[in-house]
Amino acid sequence: MAKLLLFLVTISFSLSVYAQNSSLSGYVLFDNNKPALGATIVIQNAHLKKETSAGINGEFLFKNLPLGTYSLIVSSLNAKTQTQQIKILSNKKTVNVILEVTNYQSLSEVLVKTETEKRKTETKGFSVNLIETKEASLRNIQTNELLNTTVGVKLRQNGGLGSQVQYSLNGLSGNSVRIFIDGIPISMYGSSFNLNSIPPSMIENIEIYKGVVPGHLADDALGGVINIILKKGAKSNLNASVSYGSFNTFQSSVNGLHRFDKTGFTVKASGFYNASDNDYKVWGGQVKHIEADGSQVPITARRFNDAYRSVGGMFQVGYTNVKWADQFFIGITGSDDYKEVQHGAFMTIHPYKGRFLESDALLTNLSYQKKDLFVKGLDINTNGLIGERNRIVNDTTAYAYTWLGVRQQRPVDFSNPDGETMDLENAWGSQQEGGPTLLNINRKVASIRSGITYEINKNHKVLLNHIYSGVDREDHDEMISLLENTFKQTSNLHKNIYSLSYELTTFNNKLKFNVFGKHYRQKVERIKPQFNDDNTQVVNDIYTSNKHYNGYGFASSYSFTTNFTLLASAERAIRLPNETEVFGDAGDNTVENTSIKPEISNNINVGFRFGKFNFNKHEFLVTTNLFSRKIQDLIGLPPNAGDRWENDELVQYNNFNEETTSKGIELQLNYTYNKNLGFNFNLSKLSLEFKNQYGNVTDVPNTPLFTINGALRYSIKNFIQNKASLNLFYNTYFTDEFSYIIVYGNTRDDGRNLVPTQFINDLGLSYTFPKENVVLSFDAKNIFNEAAYDNRSVQKPGRAFYIKLNYTINKF
Amino acid sequence: MKNQSFNIKFLSLALSALVLTFSCSDDDSTPSEEEEEQQEDTRWITVAAARMGTNPGDGNGGTLIYALSKEDAQNPNVSIAPFDNGFIVPSNRTARLQASEDGSTIFNISYAGDTGGNYSKYLANGGQNFTPTGSEISIAPYVGTAPRWIKLFDGDKTGCAVYVDTEHQIDDNGTPDDATDDTYLRTEAKVGIVLLDLVNSKILNFKELSVPLSAEEEAKGYYFGRVDMPTLNAAGDKLYIGGWLRKVNPTTIESDSGYEILAAKSIVVDYPTLFNPEVITSSVGTGNTNGYRSINSFEYNGAVYQATQSDPNGSHILKIGADNTYDDSYVFSLDAALGVTGAYALAWRPAANGKAVLAYRHDGSQDGISGRPESYFALIDLNAKTATKLEGIPYEIDMEMFQYQSYAVDGNNIYLTAAPVGKNGNIYVVDTETGNVTKGAELVNVDGSHFIGAW
Repeated sequence: MAKLLLFLVTISFSLSVYAQNSSLSGYVLFDNNKPALGATIVIQNAHLKKETSAGINGEFLFKNLPLGTYSLIVSSLNAKTQTQQIKILSNKKTVNVILEVTNYQSLSEVLVKTETEKRKTETKGFSVNLIETKEASLRNIQTNELLNTTVGVKLRQNGGLGSQVQYSLNGLSGNSVRIFIDGIPISMYGSSFNLNSIPPSMIENIEIYKGVVPGHLADDALGGVINIILKKGAKSNLNASVSYGSFNTFQSSVNGLHRFDKTGFTVKASGFYNASDNDYKVWGGQVKHIEADGSQVPITARRFNDAYRSVGGMFQVGYTNVKWADQFFIGITGSDDYKEVQHGAFMTIHPYKGRFLESDALLTNLSYQKKDLFVKGLDINTNGLIGERNRIVNDTTAYAYTWLGVRQQRPVDFSNPDGETMDLENAWGSQQEGGPTLLNINRKVASIRSGITYEINKNHKVLLNHIYSGVDREDHDEMISLLENTFKQTSNLHKNIYSLSYELTTFNNKLKFNVFGKHYRQKVERIKPQFNDDNTQVVNDIYTSNKHYNGYGFASSYSFTTNFTLLASAERAIRLPNETEVFGDAGDNTVENTSIKPEISNNINVGFRFGKFNFNKHEFLVTTNLFSRKIQDLIGLPPNAGDRWENDELVQYNNFNEETTSKGIELQLNYTYNKNLGFNFNLSKLSLEFKNQYGNVTDVPNTPLFTINGALRYSIKNFIQNKASLNLFYNTYFTDEFSYIIVYGNTRDDGRNLVPTQFINDLGLSYTFPKENVVLSFDAKNIFNEAAYDNRSVQKPGRAFYIKLNYTINKF
Repeated sequence: MKNQSFNIKFLSLALSALVLTFSCSDDDSTPSEEEEEQQEDTRWITVAAARMGTNPGDGNGGTLIYALSKEDAQNPNVSIAPFDNGFIVPSNRTARLQASEDGSTIFNISYAGDTGGNYSKYLANGGQNFTPTGSEISIAPYVGTAPRWIKLFDGDKTGCAVYVDTEHQIDDNGTPDDATDDTYLRTEAKVGIVLLDLVNSKILNFKELSVPLSAEEEAKGYYFGRVDMPTLNAAGDKLYIGGWLRKVNPTTIESDSGYEILAAKSIVVDYPTLFNPEVITSSVGTGNTNGYRSINSFEYNGAVYQATQSDPNGSHILKIGADNTYDDSYVFSLDAALGVTGAYALAWRPAANGKAVLAYRHDGSQDGISGRPESYFALIDLNAKTATKLEGIPYEIDMEMFQYQSYAVDGNNIYLTAAPVGKNGNIYVVDTETGNVTKGAELVNVDGSHFIGAW
C-alpha cells in the first residue's frame, strides 16, 4: 500500500500539475548524500495537516496549500527527526531537507536503504551490479573475494593475497575490462593501491557495468568496467579494524572523517596495512622435491616465496555541504607494497625463491561536486589526480629451488651421481627465464574525469563527461648496461574520451531511456633515443600517432508494474590499440602499424527484474540477464608470425577479420524472511567462441563457463546480551570443470588438461556488541580443504580461519 | 566413458590382430601365444596430429598421437582419426617428439607449460593407448622449460638438449653514468648442453661452454642466438650443434633485422666429455643450421649431413667429414638439384642407404590457408647429390610442412604423413631404393588442423 502511494506520489510529481493556491516541493536527503526514500514529511499549522513521503530520489510535493506559515516535520527510521518553520508567500516554494543519519541502524533498516540504492542503479537499463561493502567490511572478506561472488564476474588469481589478478566480465577479460577508483583508471594508482590492498571498509560500494558502460564512466572498455566508489559522506566518524588469521595474515584499516559543522571544513583520512606469508599448502601436479640424482618425490609443500605486504593511505581536507560545494577535497594518496613471486603462470616443478616485486605511488588528488550549481538541475563533478608511481622487478638469484623450499642439488660430477653434490643454478641466472633483472619502471601519471549534468526537468536530463588519462613511462634495468638502457624505446600514452548522454524518463516513470555517444582520442608517442651525428649526445626521436574514433549505445528500462521491469542495453564498444600494437616492439621483432584500427565489440544485454515481492514476512527478488558480446576486427599478429620470426623477419600487428563471441545467461535470486534470514543465489553460464579469418569456429579453452554462488545469512537479535546481535553466514561457490585445452571426441590425455569441478564452502559469524560500536567476526574459509584452482595447476589456499575486530565511533 | 571406449578400441584392435594371426598362422602354436608375439613384433607407426588453436595450421590446440601397426599404416583401406580418438601429448605447445628406432617407445620433453622441461616416456600399444613408463626427470634448470632437444642415434640410449644464454658486453670507458662514450665489445654466447640417459631417465652430463665467433664477426654484432640439433659423429667422439647467428646494432645494442647472413656454422664439442668447443664454418652454404621442429642433421656412411635454412641461395645439404670440419668439396644445392629457386629444407630424413625424403618449399610456392607456402616432398640421394620431387602425393596449396617433425624409417622404407591443413590425407610409404610411393592409411582431419609426421 505504501509503495502504491509512493508510486502515485511520484507519478503526480512528474506530471507537475500546478496548484491553484501554492505548492511546496523539495528533496529530503541524508547527510551522506543519499535520498531519504520513504521519509515521512508532515506539513501543519492550526488549520491544516498534510502528510506525504519522499520518493526514490528523495523528492516530495504538497499541493493546494493556502499561503501562510507552517511547521515542516521530516522523520525517517534512519535519521533524527527534523522540524522547521516555513513561510509560504508565493505560489511555488522549494525546500531541501538534510537529515542526520542516526548512529543506531538496525540491520533490517540498512537493508531497506541499500535495496533502494541498488534498485535505483539497477533499474536504469544497464546490466549493472551494485555491491554493497557494509557487511563484508565487518567480516574477513577481501574486496576481490566480494567481486568473485558477483554474477558474471570471474577472477583468476595467481596465488595468495596480493598475487596478480585477472578479471573477466561475461567471459571477456584482460584489456577488455577496465577498473576505476571513483572513475579514475586504477592503473594510475599503480599496483600498490589496488583491489588486493584496498580494504572493503574504505569502499562505499562497487559498480560493475557489463558490456554497456554509461557515459559518466566512459573508457575504451569492450567488456565493461568495475568502478570502486570510495567512502563519501559528510558525517564525523571513526572506524578501525584489525584482522588476523591463517598463513600469518594480518590486516588492519582505519578510516576517519571529521566535519566542523559551523564551517563545513572536513578532514578525511584512511589507511591500511596488510601482510601475509601466504604459506598455504599445495599438493599434486608438479609439487615435488627433486633429489640430487634428479629423481622426483611428490610432496605436500608450503608455499615459501609468496609473502605480501602493503601499506597505504589517503589524506584529504576540504569542505562538505557548504554553499559552493557539496564536496570539495584536495589530498594525497600514498601506497607501497612488496610481493614475492612463487612461480610463473604455472606451478611448475621449479618454484621461485628470491623473485619479488615492489611498487609505490604518491599522488595528489582533487575532487569537487556540486548539485544545483548556479541554476537548479545543473550538477557538476570533477575528480582528478597527478603523481608518480614506480615498480621494481627484482630477480637476481640463479639458484634452482625445489618445492621443499631448499636449493636443488646436482652431482658435482655427473659420472659419479652418488658423489659430492652442489647447488644447481639455473642456466639463465635468475628465477624466471629471461635472465637477471632489476627493472625500475617509473611512470608519471595524470588523470581527470569531469562531468556536467543538466536536468531540464523531471523527464529530461543531459550529461556531458570527459576523461583524460596520460602515462609517461621510463624504464631502467640495473642488470644491463647503460648503453642498452639508453637506447630502449619508451612510449607515452594520452587518452581523451568525451561522452554525451541524454536521459529520458517518461510514461509516469515507467520508461527510462539513456542514449549516449562516446568520442575517443588517443595520442601515442614513441620515443626512440639516438646518437646525434657526431655521437656526442643522445637525442630523442619522437614519433606520434593521433587517432580518434566514435562509439555509441543506449540503455532502457520499462516497468510494466512496480514489480516487473524489462531492461535492455546495447553498445558499440571500442578498445583502442595499445602502444605495442601501434608502434611495435623491437625486442619482439614487431614493427609499427600506424593505420591500425581499434577492436570493436557489439554488446547486447536483455534482462528482467521481478520483485521485490512481499508475502507476509517473505521478500523475493529475481533478476536475469541474457548477454551477447561480439568482438570484431581483433588485433593480433598474422598466423604465420612464428614462421617469420623463425627467419628473423619482422611482423606487424594488424586487424584481422576475426571474431570472439560470448553469449550467456545470468540469474540472481534474493530471498529474505522476517528480515533475519537471507538467501542469495546467482548463476552464470556462457559460451565463448573464436571465429578466425577463414571462418573456422573454435571454443576458447581455459575459461570457467558455469559458476554458481550461494549465500545464507541468519541474524539473531539480543543474542547472549540484550541489544547484541549475532549474524551467521554460509557461502558456497561452485565452478564447473573446464579444460585447459579443449578435449574433443574420445581422445585420451593424462588427466591434467581438466580443471576439476570445484565446490568451496565458507562459514562465518559476526557478533555485534550491545553498544554497537564493536563487532567481532570469525570466518572459516574452504572448510572442507578442497583443492581449488583458478587456472590449471595454480592451487589456491585451502582451509583457513580469520578473526576480526571492528570498532566504530560515530560521535566525537 | 573415455576409458570404456578406449577399451573397446583396444579390444577390437587385439581382436583384429587375432583374426590376422589366425588367417596366417601355422597349425601347431596356440593362438594366444601367437597373439602376444604378434603384439611384440609389431612395428608401430605413430602418427602425430596438431590441432588448430586459433588459426589454421598454428598447431596450438594440442598435439595428439595415434599408433597403428606397420601393416595398417600401409593399408589405404584403414582410416584413423587421431583428432577424435588420439592420445593428447602432455605439452603446452606443439611437442617435439622422438621415437625409438623400432617405434615401440615415444620420448617426449614437454615444451613450456606446467610440465615444461619434463622428460617422459611412453610405450606405444596401438591406437590411443600409450603407457607411461620409467620415471620423469626435469632438465629445465639446465636448458629452460622449452628445451630444444633430439635423441642421438646411438641405439636410443642418449638424448641431448641444448640452450644458449647471451650477454652483451660493453666498455663503459670508466664513466658508468655516461652512455655517449660507451662502446660495444661483443656478445657472450654461453651454450649449455645436457646429455640425458633415455633409458634410466637421468642426466649423464652437463656443461656450459663459451662459444665465441671471430673478432671481426663479433665486432659487427654477430653471436649465436639459437642452437639446436646436436648430432653425434660416426666415431662417437664429437657432437655437432647447429646454430643461428643473430646480430645487434653495435651502436645501440638493439636487435638488428635484414642484416647480412653469414656462412653456415656449427659448434663442435668433445663427446661425451663436452669439452673443447670449436666453431666450424662452411664455405658452401650460408644461413642457419639449427633446423626447426624436425631433426636437421644425420650421420651417414662416416660423415654427418646437415641441411641449411634461410640460405639466400636456397638450402644446401652440407657435409661434415670424419675430420670434424665442413667438407667444402661436397656441394649439394637443393636449388640446383630440384631446378627451383629459394628451396627451403623443412624436414628431411635419410634411410640407411643414403637416400632420403625431404619436405621443402621454394620461392614459387604460393601461400595457403595457414599463411605459409605450399610444401612438396622429394627423394634425395646424398651420394649422387640429386633430388627428385616425389610424384604420387597429391600436392595442393594448403599442404605445408613447416611444423613437420618426423619420418618413420623402417629399412629402406620411409613413412610420411601428407594432408593439407583442414583436409583429410594419407600416410605414404616411400621405397627409397625405387622411389615408389604407396598410399597408406587415411588420415581423417578436422578444421584448420594438420599432421606433423610419423615415427
